[in-house]
Amino acid sequence: MKKNQIKFAFLLPAVVWVLAFTIFPLIYSVRLSFFSYRLGRGETFVGGRNFVQAFTYPRFWGSLQTTFSIVLVAVGIEILLGLLFAWHFNREVQGDKVFRTLITLPLFATPVAVGYLGITLFYETSGPINMILSLFNIHVPWLSHPFWAKVSVILLDVWIWTPFCFLVFLAGFHTISEEIYEAAYMDTNSELQIFRHITLPLLLPVMGIVIALRLVEAFKVFDVPYSLLLGGPGTSTEVYPLLVYRTALKNFDFGSASALSLILLAIVMCIVIIFFRQLRKVYE
Amino acid sequence: MRKPKPLQKVRRYLITALILAIFCFPLYWAIINSIKTPLDTFAGSWIPFLQFKPTVANWTEELGNWETRRALSNSAIVSVCSTGIVLCIGTLAAFSLASFKFHKMKNQDITIWFLSQRVMPPVVFIVPFFMLMRSLKLIDTLYALILINVTFTLPFAVIIMQESFRGIPTELTDAALVDGASYGQIFYKIALPLASGGLIAVGIICLAMVWNEFIFALSLSYDQATLMPVLIAGAEHTRGVQFWYVAVRVLLTISLPMIIALFVQRYLVRGLTLGAVKG
Repeated sequence: MKKNQIKFAFLLPAVVWVLAFTIFPLIYSVRLSFFSYRLGRGETFVGGRNFVQAFTYPRFWGSLQTTFSIVLVAVGIEILLGLLFAWHFNREVQGDKVFRTLITLPLFATPVAVGYLGITLFYETSGPINMILSLFNIHVPWLSHPFWAKVSVILLDVWIWTPFCFLVFLAGFHTISEEIYEAAYMDTNSELQIFRHITLPLLLPVMGIVIALRLVEAFKVFDVPYSLLLGGPGTSTEVYPLLVYRTALKNFDFGSASALSLILLAIVMCIVIIFFRQLRKVYE
Repeated sequence: MRKPKPLQKVRRYLITALILAIFCFPLYWAIINSIKTPLDTFAGSWIPFLQFKPTVANWTEELGNWETRRALSNSAIVSVCSTGIVLCIGTLAAFSLASFKFHKMKNQDITIWFLSQRVMPPVVFIVPFFMLMRSLKLIDTLYALILINVTFTLPFAVIIMQESFRGIPTELTDAALVDGASYGQIFYKIALPLASGGLIAVGIICLAMVWNEFIFALSLSYDQATLMPVLIAGAEHTRGVQFWYVAVRVLLTISLPMIIALFVQRYLVRGLTLGAVKG
């Protein structure tokens, strides 16, 4: 076979597979979003009513707000902790490998399982966390209070994803050359100043990638809120994907669910476009 | 870098130990919950033998349960099959992208296109996939889950493998071409063996991703094709959350991806950032 045929023959199976299972479903979704479709009742064209309904639906805005507040706080904490851990471990040589290996474990933990693990950890009457807190006479209603339920979801997310930020930042630290530090130590002895004026600016590109990836990933948050509290108490931890799931497979309102999915897709695309230039540069 | 003073060293070790203790505690808690009697799980005791008598009853009961065994084997089948298909198709595409130049749509654009598939939230697809699988009569079958998992892990494999192939010196492939080797032979006899490290890492990460996948497993199966994550999620509907059984199921599910993850440290950063950061 000729070179030209070969290169397409090798590439096409993957492209066709992914195209077939993403583009057609998406087209179908777009079409469905203009219909009122309930399983078993047939479809009727309703124009943009599903979208109007979504935008006037209090739970829509509520779930968006929940998603954003959980995502922003969680990602903020993860980046901060990841940075601190990476800074802490940048110098250490002994035992570094063991630590790195152990701390990556949460990343691979099945998220649903983590949610159920969370139920036992945050168990209010005799869970381990409240038992420790009771030494200081504090009782936190982790799972029954709307605010603390959000905190619980955030803490579990932090447990899963801080290792990710840590690993990537550590890789970023290793790309900064020793000479820069040596030169800096000529001028100052303050670790904080060196961190502020040298490490941090040199780490910014890596940080951009981490933020972009975490933000995009965060809109997929479904497993932990679902398994921890099913979006409750009330709708306080009902994140956006959970709302879509419920509309689709609990209420079987496929038209509205498609509209909601497309709105989510639009939001994610906005984030991707914002970071697109950076990403493109990276893959050159 | 400057050497830390002994006191600083001690402080470092203490902080390290603290971080590790906090991060490993949830796992410890799951393990001791799984060896407690139901009554003990609610008493909140911390140390086995000292505070409570450990028992393996939960484990034997859970492993003797046919539902759990079915879910475990389902999960294993779906993960292994999906990973196999992903590696076959994905490495071919990656090899093509790494060694040839595309003109109408540049290589880099194709990579970005694959990347954009990774970025899409899966929840967007549950309605169309549900309808598609319903019309193909594939709801509650392992085929449906394999099809979908391949779709969502394939882009990842293509992106990462492509980088592994890029690392192979072109002199090698050129020499093989001069000797009359076909591109198929080059791929099979030169590129694949040289990129085997990356291949194994990608395989392991894909396996873990498929094993952990939840939302499609939840929306496309209800009985026959139940996977481990769905089994855990169904645990509470019968009699409230039974901490002791849940702990066993959690550990059964979590342990496989965690154990295999221990072997991919080298490619982890690259894999997790979709190749954007070289670790």
